[in-house]
Amino acid sequence: MIAASWIAGLGVILFGIGLVGAFSRKNAIVVLMCIEVMLNAANLNFVAGALHHGSVDGWVFAAIAIAIAAAEVAIGLAILLSLYSTQETISLDEATLLKH
Amino acid sequence: MGESKQEWDRLLLLIPFLAVVPYLIIQGESAPDWAWLIVAVPFIISPIIAIAGQIWNGHDTWVNRLKEGGIIALGALGLSLSAGLWLIYDYLTTQPSKRFTPDPWSWLSFDVLTYNGEGWSVAASGFDFFGLGLYLDALSIMLLFVATFLCFLICWFAVGYMTTDPINDNSNHRFFAEFVLFSIGMFGMVLADNFLWLFIFWEIMGLCSYLLIGFYYWKKSAAYAAKKAFLTTRVGDVFLLIGLLMLYDIYGSLDFSVVFDDPSTGVGGAVVSAAKLQTALLMLFIGAVGKSAQFPLHVWLPDAMEGPTPVSALIHAATMVNAGLYLVARMVPFVDVANGGVAGMEDLGLIVAWIGGITAFMAAAIAFVQNDIKKVLAYSTMSQLAYIFTGLGAALWLFNTGNHEAGALVFGGALFHLFNHAMAKGMLFMASGSVIHEVHHAHDHLHHEGDDSEHDHASHHDFDAQDMRNMGGLASKMPVTATAMMLGSMSIIGIPLIGGFWSKEVIIGKTWYAYFHGADALLGPALLILATAGMTGFYMSRMWFMTFAGEPRNELVEHVHEATPWIKTPLIVLSIMTALGGFGLAVYGAVEFLSAEADYLSLHGHTLLEQIIHEVEHAFLPEDMQLRYVGWVTILLAFIIGPIMAARIYGGALKEGEQAIPLVHWLTSLSGKFGSQNVDDLANSELAEALQQRLYFDDLYEGILARTIVPFAAFAAWFDANVIDGAIKQIESKSVLGSIQIRRVTTGSARDYILMAAIGTLSIFALIWGVNA
Repeated sequence: MIAASWIAGLGVILFGIGLVGAFSRKNAIVVLMCIEVMLNAANLNFVAGALHHGSVDGWVFAAIAIAIAAAEVAIGLAILLSLYSTQETISLDEATLLKH
Repeated sequence: MGESKQEWDRLLLLIPFLAVVPYLIIQGESAPDWAWLIVAVPFIISPIIAIAGQIWNGHDTWVNRLKEGGIIALGALGLSLSAGLWLIYDYLTTQPSKRFTPDPWSWLSFDVLTYNGEGWSVAASGFDFFGLGLYLDALSIMLLFVATFLCFLICWFAVGYMTTDPINDNSNHRFFAEFVLFSIGMFGMVLADNFLWLFIFWEIMGLCSYLLIGFYYWKKSAAYAAKKAFLTTRVGDVFLLIGLLMLYDIYGSLDFSVVFDDPSTGVGGAVVSAAKLQTALLMLFIGAVGKSAQFPLHVWLPDAMEGPTPVSALIHAATMVNAGLYLVARMVPFVDVANGGVAGMEDLGLIVAWIGGITAFMAAAIAFVQNDIKKVLAYSTMSQLAYIFTGLGAALWLFNTGNHEAGALVFGGALFHLFNHAMAKGMLFMASGSVIHEVHHAHDHLHHEGDDSEHDHASHHDFDAQDMRNMGGLASKMPVTATAMMLGSMSIIGIPLIGGFWSKEVIIGKTWYAYFHGADALLGPALLILATAGMTGFYMSRMWFMTFAGEPRNELVEHVHEATPWIKTPLIVLSIMTALGGFGLAVYGAVEFLSAEADYLSLHGHTLLEQIIHEVEHAFLPEDMQLRYVGWVTILLAFIIGPIMAARIYGGALKEGEQAIPLVHWLTSLSGKFGSQNVDDLANSELAEALQQRLYFDDLYEGILARTIVPFAAFAAWFDANVIDGAIKQIESKSVLGSIQIRRVTTGSARDYILMAAIGTLSIFALIWGVNA
């Protein structure tokens, strides 16, 4: 049995990777992937908590978060598609519509 | 004839309104339960007229069938009148004692908290200090009748007057909506069982007075007059509010039932200090002075005549100006020592009486030289209201010195004069409106036949349809109006046996009585109102002679004819009321009833004839010899000297071949016998000039304003522009600069935003961690 603290530590590392990737990469698809990594790092935290406390709550949260993440990916990809069809780019540095 | 029948068809629309009360009576309902209808129906109808008038402005049905909302207004006021009469009948026949609705409408209920040294706890929950209930006694019954009856009749008059007024096309819905809104204020004030509600309705009336004086708002003078009236009465209202707060401080409540129950015991059983209570009542009195246009807050009333004539008749003669009198009359339980009032407030009565005496005399003097028919009536209103104030002042003094019986008599007499004056003055204003209306139309007819209406408007300014110097000899042209004006003037003058005679006699006699019985300071008011009786005889007669007697002073008088039935009907109703109503009520003991000495209006167990003889004998030959002389002097001055002097100067025979109707014929022929018709005789003296300038009160007030308020306003404007606005402008320009700097952060790149969000979140975590550690 792996100790809960190891799992939580893995979560922290994964979250850090995802975070750095999210604000350093230009490609929107990569950024989306990084966000997924961060989400799953949070899921790992839930799992670690569930193991530590010996309760089932964390498992349930993790399952729900995975389902929501799937829906979110669908929306994210749809946004990228429409971004590409209107702006002909998926580079985040060029998509600065929010500024105006 | 056909057209006239068609006009009456409009009245069919009133049937649904007038059927409500009979239906309720058949259903066996009780009147006090439905008294809320009196106020609620106008409250609903007023905005309906305003909105419907905007939607259907100028629409044929709206203008011709509904008279621009006039018929709806008349219906609402008819319903109020019928509900009011039902309530009055119920009061007079079943339970003639003070009553309250069992369950007043609560609108501001709250918990009463007490502090026990450690914390607050609820002493009483849902306690309601200011619930709106119903308070009925002889005083409110009388005023309720005056208000509902005159609102209805004057609205009837206004339907005829306003809808044929050439000046204001298609804006009469505004007039009727405000007119009905005003009636809410008057009805509510009369019925309210609480000083706070009295104040609220009082202010509604003030607002409507302002709106209606400024009805012709495009005329500079009207807008100015409206502002002047509003601001002058505001001075009084501020004091009224202070007085109410002081009363609340003393009694812990403003409910009539609580306050009047035991005026000598304040909140928590404390003994009420006479000095403190007297100050509070004086504050209330200043409010009354403003509302009833008494010296020194009288300057607004003459200018208020800029409003349409029905407004002058209703608000500035018959109802709203009585509000101040009502307030003073409500002070009686505080001062009535014989019934548990607080002793030691004699000064209050003296001040009220002095203010009344001064105003009565001053206003009558100014009325001598006015040429505007409505201004004469306005000054006459001030003067007559001042009579009532003098009477109330004497009553307060007598009550407070323990002479309950005499106090009650003069109190009842003063209220009876209020009734008689409201009826007569409402009618006089409507009669003057009838004259003005017809002279105006005759003028248009003569000078602008075929002209386009643009031109018409411009030339209205050159001709003053209210100036009596443009009239004369109208008695043969306008028989109904001339008769109404004659009866109204007789009532105001106090010609024996008609209307105001019964009440004026009591006021003057009992004020002198108070003087003879120890109130030395009342000699002044007593002398002033005695002199005013003669002056009233002069100026009212002068007005009648200048308008109706003598030869026409303007060719257009030839073209004057009597107005529509809408205008004539209320005049006839009120003529009968004035001629017989005062006498009838005097015989039925109105004075005793109004002063709460008698529970019913009755003949006191005598036959009608005995009672008439008793009253007449009592009026002419009081048992007290001193009062007998006072009474005779009054009659001599008012009935003989005043009118004959007026006839001597202003009277004159009618033109050859003209004949007045029998009712006024005696007066025109009298005028022909005495008259010299030399109008300019007195007009050139310095005194006349001073009176023309209204004794310079307006100049004085404007001078004071120019020296105090205007510099202060200039300073306030400077302070506003430089200090307040300056500070705000500094803040604004600096924050613009700051935001330009902050704007740089928003690059528009999603990656930067993510970075910032991450740094921000981490900082917060670090902060929380640091704090916990």
